[in-house]
Amino acid sequence: MDLQETIKALKLPLNVKNDLFAELSPLQLSDDEIDEILETTKKVYERSRVEPCEAVGTIAAQSIGEPGTQMTMRTFHYAGVADINVTLGLPRLIEIVDARKVPDTPMMTIYLDVESATDRDKALQLAWEIEGTHVSDIADILADTDEMQIYLEFDDRALQQRKVDLDAVVTKLETLQDVDVRVDGSNIVLIPSVKRYRALLQIVEKAKAMVVKGIDDIKRVVVRKEREEYVLYTEGSSLKKVMVLEHIDATRTKTNNINEMAEVFGIEAARNSIIEEAMDTLREQGLTVDVRHIMLVADMMTLDGEVKQIGRHGIAGEKTSVLSRAAFEVTVNHLLDAAIRGETDELVGVTENVIVGQPILLGTGDVRLIARTGRE
Amino acid sequence: MKEVVKKLTRYERARIVGARALQISMGAPTLIESNTTDPIDMALEELKKGVIPITIKRRGTPR
Repeated sequence: MDLQETIKALKLPLNVKNDLFAELSPLQLSDDEIDEILETTKKVYERSRVEPCEAVGTIAAQSIGEPGTQMTMRTFHYAGVADINVTLGLPRLIEIVDARKVPDTPMMTIYLDVESATDRDKALQLAWEIEGTHVSDIADILADTDEMQIYLEFDDRALQQRKVDLDAVVTKLETLQDVDVRVDGSNIVLIPSVKRYRALLQIVEKAKAMVVKGIDDIKRVVVRKEREEYVLYTEGSSLKKVMVLEHIDATRTKTNNINEMAEVFGIEAARNSIIEEAMDTLREQGLTVDVRHIMLVADMMTLDGEVKQIGRHGIAGEKTSVLSRAAFEVTVNHLLDAAIRGETDELVGVTENVIVGQPILLGTGDVRLIARTGRE
Repeated sequence: MKEVVKKLTRYERARIVGARALQISMGAPTLIESNTTDPIDMALEELKKGVIPITIKRRGTPR
């Protein structure tokens, strides 16, 4: 019988089937051998499934919690050779689970499309286009307090390298209020209309922070060659603005900001992003946690179509059971509020039943026996 | 009512054996001939032979 058909008929997940086919098709095996392999695969798969009534949540919590105790408390690490500073270890894991709006060290990974992926010049050009260039990056800013003027001395090399047009800088600078902009060769002179020392210094600060080119939030871009293609890593994250650029592979470009992923790509992408980020964080620390535990956490966090944190303002705080919420944090407040509102607890969850001293609906506690009468 | 024949989960097994062992320990007549005196072993043997007069009522719809 045809191998592909045989595999297709099996009761296995698609991924496993595809793997099986990919592994088995190049080998010249007899039917008996193939049967044996498929039989074993099925057996192993069946064994790896959780049984009904299993306390998956508790096991997931323990399986993430225990390795968590072995993680370094404070780690600031460099992402590979690209020396971009990213939060790793326990702080990062907490950040993911807390679904922070903005992570401590936002970072993007930008892939290029097929035609430019191997082109170093295009990658570098794109990097300069993305990196936020401030006036202070391309010019020395000097405040002359005698003349009450500000001199901007532009660095030609920096201008050329970053492909910044001096005219564009002038137009940008002209948006400053109460300032007269005069071009003097390759230098620019700013003349404030108010001749006061404080005003002068304020203008210096404003001019320094002006973005002439690129994306404001992106402080630095590092180009790295990975296998055959060039990949851009950015310090700071602004997916929306990067997605519209040309020569970018939008299908692989990503950020480590989970909320941003949810906003730009949708909730399923956010779920995958949680799983990937958490697994990467754990793996980097040399800890192996089964993906299924992380998947459960990610599922719980994204279940409602928006990214929710695990703690008080998310899953634990939105539970329907009063007793379960009270068991988590600020017990008295929850009980008091529930009493005022006249809430009822249906006692369906685990925590509630532990509190009232009933058998819980897990494991053997969730099995209902009935007498088998008569002959069948 | 359709009877779904499926392997027992380990929790169901434990529960049935537990319930049956309790009956035996309290003097219920055994349904098989056995050499053991331990009610749990006896219950296990009975389960193996499928003679325990207890079944499971599962909730939801099993596949």
